[in-house]
Amino acid sequence: MRLALAIGTFFILVIHGIVFYNQFGHPWERNQNTYFDQAKVLAKTDTEKAALAARRPRIEQIVVSNFGETRVDRCTTCHIAADDPRFSSHAEPVKTHPYSATLGDYQKDGKWERRHKFAEFGCTVCHDGQGRGLDAEYSHGRDEYWPDPLLGFTTQENWRKDFAPKLKGKEYMEANCAQCHTDTAFAGTALVTRGRVLFFATNCYGCHRIEGLSDGTIGPDLSDVGRKWKLDYLWGRIADPKSILATSIMPKFNLKDEDIKALVVFLKSRKGRNFAETEIQRFKVKLTGGAELVQATIKPVQINPKEMVKQGEKLVLDRACTACHKLGERDGGIAPDLSQEGLIKDSEWIYDHFKNPKSTMPDSIMPAFRFTDDEFKAMTAYLVTLKGVTAPPAGEAIYKNYCLRCHGEKGDGHGPIAEHLDPYPRDLTKAGFMNSKPEARLVNSVRNGVAGTSMPAWGKLLNEEQAKAVLSYVQSSFTKEPRREVKPHAIPEKNPVATSKESADRGEALFVNRCAGCHGKKGDGKGPNSLDILPKPRNLRNSFFVNSVDDKRLFDSIEYGVQGTAMPSWIDYGLTHNDVGDLVNFIRSINQKPKGGQHAAAIQ
Amino acid sequence: MAVNLKRSSGEDSDGGKTSRRRMLGWLTGVGLFGSAGLSAVSNFVFIKPRATYGQPQRFSVGKPEDFPEGTRSVLGARGICIVREGTKLAAISTTCTHLGCTVASAETGFACPCHGSRFDPDGNVTGGPAPRPLPWFQVTLAPNGEIEVDKDIEITPGSYLTL
Repeated sequence: MRLALAIGTFFILVIHGIVFYNQFGHPWERNQNTYFDQAKVLAKTDTEKAALAARRPRIEQIVVSNFGETRVDRCTTCHIAADDPRFSSHAEPVKTHPYSATLGDYQKDGKWERRHKFAEFGCTVCHDGQGRGLDAEYSHGRDEYWPDPLLGFTTQENWRKDFAPKLKGKEYMEANCAQCHTDTAFAGTALVTRGRVLFFATNCYGCHRIEGLSDGTIGPDLSDVGRKWKLDYLWGRIADPKSILATSIMPKFNLKDEDIKALVVFLKSRKGRNFAETEIQRFKVKLTGGAELVQATIKPVQINPKEMVKQGEKLVLDRACTACHKLGERDGGIAPDLSQEGLIKDSEWIYDHFKNPKSTMPDSIMPAFRFTDDEFKAMTAYLVTLKGVTAPPAGEAIYKNYCLRCHGEKGDGHGPIAEHLDPYPRDLTKAGFMNSKPEARLVNSVRNGVAGTSMPAWGKLLNEEQAKAVLSYVQSSFTKEPRREVKPHAIPEKNPVATSKESADRGEALFVNRCAGCHGKKGDGKGPNSLDILPKPRNLRNSFFVNSVDDKRLFDSIEYGVQGTAMPSWIDYGLTHNDVGDLVNFIRSINQKPKGGQHAAAIQ
Repeated sequence: MAVNLKRSSGEDSDGGKTSRRRMLGWLTGVGLFGSAGLSAVSNFVFIKPRATYGQPQRFSVGKPEDFPEGTRSVLGARGICIVREGTKLAAISTTCTHLGCTVASAETGFACPCHGSRFDPDGNVTGGPAPRPLPWFQVTLAPNGEIEVDKDIEITPGSYLTL
């Protein structure tokens, strides 16, 4: 017992001793003593020597409040010779900070003068790192949880080995230079400017918002991305989005390393607000949407009418269209195949879709990109020349060639790009749906497409026989139930209720009561129950679709339901022909406004 | 344990050899009092922080050319007055030694606006409640050619840095 007590107390003493030693024997004290000793040797006058002799190691700090939050930079505690020109050839940390003309340092009477004085700027404004740290690991930000490691110099243990070496180098500091030097022509921030150009050239702006530059809504807002994320994360997200977040829908752009570097530096420079900005400048940017900067950044291609197709091709291939779409060998795996675009769409549709994707496809997620009208025309001219290859005769081959991308390998509608399409591709394994529709309607859907959806008209590629062949392949491989004779439903030939405001109002009241649960109060298919239903309830504000179907089909769908979907047969729930007539009038009334076509006149 | 106690107490009586019990007692004592002592020392040391979040006490005020000969420039934010006489240079505190107000430069030297203390151009008290003259701080010429003032080091009034 006594022995244990003795050993225990002795042990405590040792621990105390170690703590004491650590607290009073800092490496920085040794660094400072080294500096004092060497400076004494270099000192020329006795007063200088005496002044050095009087100095004791202590924590040196620079308090800077001109750049955002007050910074306390204690870097000069170790790097004590940073501003002493006599130590330029010594080893770190007791070494002069290099003078550099590119930083604005200048020579006067043969002596270097700094443009950015440390007393005014501190250290972390440019270098990042943890200013308050007094220990190499923490102050350099090597700590995993410190968000700003010494820019371009320090890589961290947990960073991906294949990226880490690319994240070294002082170029990354340009991101911090750009906090004050916002001028796009500034030579010191060439990478930021290049990154900004790439942000537009690779169409990042289509999905991402950056205050004062772009307003995409599909991806996260990047206005202060530089403050939130480290270099390696930004690099990883650009180089290979899915490697960091498996559910990411960001396409892989296959950029070159130097392009990724420019983008990373540009993104790292987005910190919400620049030190150099004044309120009035911010307000101006807000009013104009940053038009000045955007205009200076986007360089439109001059389109020569004779070489339109060629220039269009170059635009389509260079401007990352294939990051989402498929075109020949290139496949972004997000959006439909463009290989036979010229046969399934016409130039009006393509041009309209370019100008405003939602004007031709109400639920398209494709962003409206900022090309000039001439560029859009050239791209349209190129796309209509795409004819693909001659369709194979066999049903299976046709399905694999054209249908699989959306409807999936198993025909269940979960194709590789299905999750990005709205409406979702039809589940072809649902025998209830497939067998309740007459073959003529299915052939019609294949050959003429379904208006307002991603189902294109395959008529120019597939003739009647080929359409039937692919349908019989679907029937035998996916639906797997023999077709039955469809019993004709007792539905009126034409709407028994005349179109009128009163009828539409009655229809709306009925709609809110009976239909809004799934189709939503606005009829946009986003009712509270829609989340649990697949296929999703139809968006009844999709004018292209609603206007493409006749009253008879609406009556059929409402009164007898749609087999294989959640739409019940409302005749069993007490709706009369007249009620349905009111509903149809209401649905027609919310699709009055003709949409689309407003841009198409431009390409005549 | 009981056996142990008995045996050690038996050996305790012969004075010459240090017994096991005594040895352990010493060890325990040294350990306990040693760590208590160290903690006490550390506590006293930590009463005064090694760094505070104020502006640094040692700072550079610019080149000698910034202070033309024969001028007295008050640097309000730094709390000092740089006095340049010919090739000589000094830094005098502008914090009143009475209650810490910032003194203003006056024709006769310095005048404190709070309680009317008066100082001559060298900082000596000429009137008012101030108990001590204004301190002079060490001024050195840094290797990069700038003037460095160290407010931690007070020097005897009247000693100048010769450029």
